[in-house]
Amino acid sequence: MSKYLVVFAQAHQEFRVPELESVAQLYNFKISLSDEPEERDPSRPFMIIELESENHVRLLAKRCILIKSIYEFYGRGSTYEVLHLRNRAKRHMWERYIPETSFKFIVAAYNHKIPQHRQKEVVESFAYMGFMGKIDMKTPEITLGCFEEYATRNGQTRERHEGDGDFLQVYFGRLIEEGTARPLVQLFDVKKRSYFGNTSMEAEISLLMANQTLACSGKLIYDPFMGTGSMAYPVAYFGAQVMGSDIDGRQMRGKQTTPGVFRAASQYGVASRIIDICTFDVTNNPWRCGGLFDAIVTDPPYGVRAGAKRLGRKKELDADRLALYHEHRTNPRPDDSPYIPPTRPYELSDLAVDLVLLARYLLKPGGRLVFFLPTVTDQYEEVDIYTMLCDGMEVIANSLQDFGSWGRRLVTIRKVTSELYPPPDFSIRDSEAQDETQRVPAHRHFREKYFQGFKKAEEVEAENLSHLP
Amino acid sequence: MVRLLTHNLLACHVKGCTSNNFPLQFQNVQIELREADFNADFLKNFLPKLEWKALVDSAKDLGDTSLPLEQPEMLDDEFLKNLHHVLLEIHVEEGSMTCPNCKHSYPISNGIPNMLLAEHEIG
Ligand SMILES: C[S@@+](CC[C@H](N)C(=O)[O-])C[C@H]1O[C@@H](n2cnc3c(N)ncnc32)[C@H](O)[C@@H]1O
Ligand SMILES: [Zn+2]
Repeated sequence: MSKYLVVFAQAHQEFRVPELESVAQLYNFKISLSDEPEERDPSRPFMIIELESENHVRLLAKRCILIKSIYEFYGRGSTYEVLHLRNRAKRHMWERYIPETSFKFIVAAYNHKIPQHRQKEVVESFAYMGFMGKIDMKTPEITLGCFEEYATRNGQTRERHEGDGDFLQVYFGRLIEEGTARPLVQLFDVKKRSYFGNTSMEAEISLLMANQTLACSGKLIYDPFMGTGSMAYPVAYFGAQVMGSDIDGRQMRGKQTTPGVFRAASQYGVASRIIDICTFDVTNNPWRCGGLFDAIVTDPPYGVRAGAKRLGRKKELDADRLALYHEHRTNPRPDDSPYIPPTRPYELSDLAVDLVLLARYLLKPGGRLVFFLPTVTDQYEEVDIYTMLCDGMEVIANSLQDFGSWGRRLVTIRKVTSELYPPPDFSIRDSEAQDETQRVPAHRHFREKYFQGFKKAEEVEAENLSHLP
Repeated sequence: MVRLLTHNLLACHVKGCTSNNFPLQFQNVQIELREADFNADFLKNFLPKLEWKALVDSAKDLGDTSLPLEQPEMLDDEFLKNLHHVLLEIHVEEGSMTCPNCKHSYPISNGIPNMLLAEHEIG
């Protein structure tokens, strides 16, 4: 295996390693990361990884949303002396470029700006490499990158070039590939989409979710809470076919004749890969059998924007409803008029358990469930994730997107069994009557906690008391 | 645009309707033909999941008789091309699908099937 230097975008840092591992699995190659916590510290934009071939570098650069570029790694050091010593030792890696290869040098820093004159000094300090080819800033045959990494200076004011040279590490290598997946974040920008709504998922996260599904040509991927279809587009863009459903047809359709999801999909040239979108309550679903999908990707409702609902438990219809119902039956119209079945709330922790059971039924063996679980930062514990697991389903990634007092976790679960399981019965649990010894996950009653601004129980009580006359 | 692939996966799910509830019968359909990318791997992956007779019969209802009555052992190009067309290129835009057992009818409008049930129809 050879070492490569990856330069990451400093965004969604917890998603970085899961994304690398997913893409490696998708293309079936080995990737080795250091076990040292310092070496995989997500707050640092540089990481050294090991791969078996340059071809694998290119695959990562093509699919990973968080990768800015990847370099063949020549060396690093806490000073230039150390760096140069190590780089000289790697002569066999770069000597073939000495005689006549045209080249360009990039000197850059993270958390700092290196003054022009010192950039020049840095380039000159590599003179011992003795490259004889011409310097070509536009179309060089190779690009050499030298990166200084500085500690963050969040909140500190300072002079422009203050602390120049006080870097933690300096890295050096040869550019192999610029990340070409990152520009997809612009392509899928929600604001430029012909159909979106207030539940739409931001482009970068949708793309990261798509990578967690291992989407590629030949696969079938399902979103049971499809809404405006944000995840369907990147998944289809990566070649997979998509099936979607939602309890509320209006979310998928919008107001024009051509349903919104198809309009948006056309914009990305993937309309033919959206196999179908159907209106139904996922807790009363019409799937004929299980084992259908390679992945399920979804942002389940948690009652903050789009309420978690399921069809009501009232069994008898009153006269008015029955009349409406019959009118609808004899004269079917789009599902927003005139008959809309009543719904009732669906507790998030119940929904999460049901979703995992449903995924175990609907996924093929080895398939993945990728979904967001909103949770309360102060109360969250890792075991919360395990409260929703069942036999045959294993958590393989769990990455936090932090919003302060709350956050949402992108959870990736793999179906590790090829046993056949029955569909879940979605029975209504009496969520209050629970075994007292069991941990109550932080995401339980998320909706209520959200609207109370995540106050502690005592605070809420105090507030209630203060309303008393 | 209910396609036959989707149709082949949907069964009536009214409470108590558990036998002879598939395939749903198309009624008063408006059809559009639209080209889709041919993907042999996708078709081969999906083949084991299909109810073959239901697919052949439903295709016939929509006027396509290109599929053999028995699923062939050998997947030659011509067969895959026909299967591709039947599963992915025939779109039912309007109409409904009726359960052969309980006669519940699921409307299709602007290509979106409405599989919602009323509260007295769910288990
Ligand atoms: C958070 S939104 C998903 C948004 C979607 N990712 C998008 O891009 O717009 C949740 C969706 O779940 C739907 N929903 C709520 N309860 C449902 C249920 N029981 N079955 C199916 N869909 C449901 C809502 O109508 C809503 O569109
Ligand atoms: Zn029926």
